[in-house]
Amino acid sequence: MRVGDIAAGRAGDKGDMLDLSLVARDQAAYELLCKALTPERLAPLMNRVVPGPVLRYEVPGLRALKFVLPQALPGGVYASLHPGLHWQKAAIWLLLDLSIEDEGRSLLAPCDQPENSP
Amino acid sequence: MESPVCVLGAGAGFAGDRIDPAVVLARSGVDAVVLECLAERTLVPAIRARRDNPQAGYDPRLVRRLTPLLPVAREKGCRIVSNLGAANPVAAAERIARLARELGLPGLKVAAIVGDDVLDRAAQVRWVREPGAPLLGAHAYLGCHPLADALAQGADVVVTGRVADSALFSAVVRDRLVPGEEALAGAIGVGHLLECGGQLTGGNYEPIAGAGLPPPLSAEQYARLGYPLARVMADGSAEIGLPAGAPGIVDALTCSLQLLYEVHDPSYYATPDLVVDFSGVRFDPVGENRIRMSGVRSKGPPPTLKVAGFVDRPGFIMDCEIALAGAGARERAEVMARALRLRLGDWADADISIDLVGAGSVLRAGSQLLRGAIPELRVHVSARCSDGEQAQTIEDEVYAMTLSGPAGGSSVRSEKRPRIEVLDGFIEHARVPTQIVWSQS
Repeated sequence: MRVGDIAAGRAGDKGDMLDLSLVARDQAAYELLCKALTPERLAPLMNRVVPGPVLRYEVPGLRALKFVLPQALPGGVYASLHPGLHWQKAAIWLLLDLSIEDEGRSLLAPCDQPENSP
Repeated sequence: MESPVCVLGAGAGFAGDRIDPAVVLARSGVDAVVLECLAERTLVPAIRARRDNPQAGYDPRLVRRLTPLLPVAREKGCRIVSNLGAANPVAAAERIARLARELGLPGLKVAAIVGDDVLDRAAQVRWVREPGAPLLGAHAYLGCHPLADALAQGADVVVTGRVADSALFSAVVRDRLVPGEEALAGAIGVGHLLECGGQLTGGNYEPIAGAGLPPPLSAEQYARLGYPLARVMADGSAEIGLPAGAPGIVDALTCSLQLLYEVHDPSYYATPDLVVDFSGVRFDPVGENRIRMSGVRSKGPPPTLKVAGFVDRPGFIMDCEIALAGAGARERAEVMARALRLRLGDWADADISIDLVGAGSVLRAGSQLLRGAIPELRVHVSARCSDGEQAQTIEDEVYAMTLSGPAGGSSVRSEKRPRIEVLDGFIEHARVPTQIVWSQS
């Protein structure tokens, strides 16, 4: 199952900080995400793309998880060598495209590569 | 039914945002339209402009944005609050007064809020790391009180520089709330929710498929997207909605995503006036595209004000790309990227980045690469350069691939950017006095 099948998300930034919000579609999805998306599991995946630690905040009343990567954007977006300046607006797909299995037991992994044939 | 003490509209969420949603909101009868037009880094070109010309440094879109809005706002008695002043609020206020005269709107009172520029006190700022290079600017985030004071003194338009975005909104309602921190915390929460305009009402939002949610907006709806309004109650709670007839999505999901947007710890969101706690916020549907927001709590005033500093590093970032098309475009692009890295061997890995746009340039190792043939893509080079000569070398090396690289290199484009880094700091409230400067048409 893809994270994006059970949650909506949005990415933002402030200075060096990248922030990723997920809101689950229902309580069961929220509990699954809480189990699967631990900072310990996410950090190595995120660090393939951006540096630094991953912090997580839970907002159960909104069925939301908030991930904060305080060192992900060194010097702020303006200092980025990414094509264009605002790549981080798409960074929520780093989470939405992850695959989790029921009850979050299996290893978190990138989704299978989709086919691009007609 | 409880009646609001104030209706606020969010007419713009960044400097380049659409012009027309603010006019739609003003026409709908809101008490005030807020135009948030000053992102963290939008100040940089404004500071540079003011350095070159003391009468410049406000938002260059000011006239285009306010020309259709001022007459409607005057007719409807709608106030305008905006950070269009950027690095020069006084010059912005004078320009707005002149624009009002040109539009035949005499007697418009425009208040400029001055005091956010703390560059002369940079040594008193506690920076999160040493700037390490000259500061281009340093601006403290002001709170709502000087703006609210200006409105209490009869301002029709309040124009500011760096102010907490949420304060642009809470300023309008401050004097209509029940006394105490909790109601003001609610108003700050409402401001935070509204500050990005269309991002609250279905913009930059993909619903979860199969979850019984409203479908994604259509092209026609995105093109006419309604911007949000809030009917704020005396206790600081609010009803979030859209102007009548305007398309959009306002539901618990869009509101939750925006509440958490660019917040660090949701239970400790520091703003200049109060630290607020979003962890107990509720979004309850009260009608179609109408959500009741409540439960923002105060954690008291923050110890310091945040400062955004801009570090002016020497040199440039050269950002340049070249297209490949037709069968085998991907393979030729990969060869070209490797050839460019060989040609640009003087650059350390940390100072250069070569990506294939169309094949993972955005999310890089986080991308799910497509397996099939790619009809076209672009080889992209970004590199830190110590001076203009080095920057030119990057562009020349990319361009030279059109003659000396894999077949079909074409459509080169490039951009040379100054190297500005954003640096956070903190300063005592007492070191940031503010002042209201009036202009009138």
